[in-house]
Amino acid sequence: MAATKDKVYKCLNPVGIQEPVDISPLAPRLDTLEGKTIHFSITGEPDITIALEKKLKMDYPDINWTAKKSYTPMPNQLTDEEIKTTDGVILGVCW
Amino acid sequence: MPYIAKLEKAGVPTVIVDFEDQLNMIRHTGLEYGVPNARVVHSSRTIPGPEDVENWVEAVLEGLTKPLTKKEKESGRYAPPQERILFEGTLDEAQAFYQKNRHVPIPVDAPICVYTDGLPIIVPTEEKVKEMLTGTSHKPDELITYQRSVEAPAGFAGMGISRKKGDVVKFHPNEWTATVEKVATIAVMAGCKPEHLPVILAIAESGCRTGTTVMNSQAVCLSGPIVDELQMNTGCGMFGPGSPVNAPIGRSYQLMAINLSGSIPGVNRMSSLGSPLNNGGTCFAERASSLPPGWLGLNEEYSFEKDDSVVMVMGFEGGISGRQFSPGGYRALQKSGHGAIARRLGVKGTPGPHNWLEYYIHSLWANREGPVTLVMIPEMAKHLYEYGFKSKDAVYEWLWKKSFRPVSEYRDRSWGDMTTNGWMGIESVSKKHWKEMTDDFPVPMGGPNPVNNCIIVASSEEEICLNLEGGRGQAYSIDAWR
Repeated sequence: MAATKDKVYKCLNPVGIQEPVDISPLAPRLDTLEGKTIHFSITGEPDITIALEKKLKMDYPDINWTAKKSYTPMPNQLTDEEIKTTDGVILGVCW
Repeated sequence: MPYIAKLEKAGVPTVIVDFEDQLNMIRHTGLEYGVPNARVVHSSRTIPGPEDVENWVEAVLEGLTKPLTKKEKESGRYAPPQERILFEGTLDEAQAFYQKNRHVPIPVDAPICVYTDGLPIIVPTEEKVKEMLTGTSHKPDELITYQRSVEAPAGFAGMGISRKKGDVVKFHPNEWTATVEKVATIAVMAGCKPEHLPVILAIAESGCRTGTTVMNSQAVCLSGPIVDELQMNTGCGMFGPGSPVNAPIGRSYQLMAINLSGSIPGVNRMSSLGSPLNNGGTCFAERASSLPPGWLGLNEEYSFEKDDSVVMVMGFEGGISGRQFSPGGYRALQKSGHGAIARRLGVKGTPGPHNWLEYYIHSLWANREGPVTLVMIPEMAKHLYEYGFKSKDAVYEWLWKKSFRPVSEYRDRSWGDMTTNGWMGIESVSKKHWKEMTDDFPVPMGGPNPVNNCIIVASSEEEICLNLEGGRGQAYSIDAWR
């Protein structure tokens, strides 16, 4: 019995296969927000997003604000063409 | 997160606003998409919006302008080691190794097992996995791929995914892949036998998703000759403990979610309080021989043949509920038209068959919307048949029509905003814009399509009908994995 108890087994790995991921640096930040086009991607949580959209537009009139709304956590995304003319994006409340 | 990754990689700076307890998930998912250091500002779950926004609006704007840190500028390749042999040692040492845990911070703040569901497993030695692999003709190094092309049913929060035959299955949320050998390894850990392996491989085809931030429950239901072949419990207590078949198959789903999907509570599996159906796993089966004449088996409902063995993989958000009947109460309704149910249905003194669903649906859509999965005993299915429902489709249609409520009532539901996208879209049945509808316009609470409902007939005796509060899942061929 002792021999069996001490027997060494090779045990297999159940963890899924991770394809290698290329890590990207974050996009360079902006020097200023003045005159820039900043997009607000609204994803539900109206108690926060309504107040935030209102405050952004009222307190930061020098920024060109754009917005798209979704009431689910899935953002209503910018098109590739719209991305070309957008300087920054705020996404909330979700990831 | 794929959207944020796309923007950052396109040179557009982003800031995420989200709750602090979601940070683990943002970091973890960010890594999978190559942006592990995405900027995040925390909002509050409890402070009223206008006051909350004052606390962090400056930080949001700073997130777009504050220069990048050294860490945020990092690039490189994330390629963790993936050895085929995970551990070498005695069985006791291996048991302790596979049982190891790590502390997961808030919102968990407790130890969570790395490889298991919390209970001990059968150690997956090379010998045991080799034996398990005798249960399939597929090669150990074969990647899990879809065996049939299927369009996913539409709808938010469902577990449905479109798939094309031959495509490699990605296990959500980490988008990992798996080989037949890895699935066999997990089948060993769960306590399965080689003859169970084709079922586990078919379940793996689903990608073993674990749902969203609400309360997603996962379950699998088998249909076809495999049910008798494996001697599954389809009768008394089939959702409960004791079956050497139902239990390890159900457990396999959860062990695959943990290992192949990389699903961790509080990190990327955010179901708030979790679901007891996922604790140990839930596997049940249809008793096709108990179906009334003309009622299709689950396999046939998915365009498979009667002799095909399939598994339906479900993810539903509403939990599980049933309707209690007093001792003899249901039987009195059908035998002689006596008792409370007969009074409610207005059939006092009239012997059955009566449509007991009239009693059952009293509060079916009171606090949720969408289709339902009803698991009923043969006697109750027979009563529905004798009452006049000559097919499952007839029941689905009846249920769906009963679900219509006026827009004024629908508007009072929290979930309503989600499916209508804030009332800005087109209602799928009437094709009218939500905002054009009058308050009394009827809309279906039971989802857009009657056949999203599902009926499973089991083989128990005591009259009960359970409601798995969500519609049908997707079906996968077991035979394709034999």
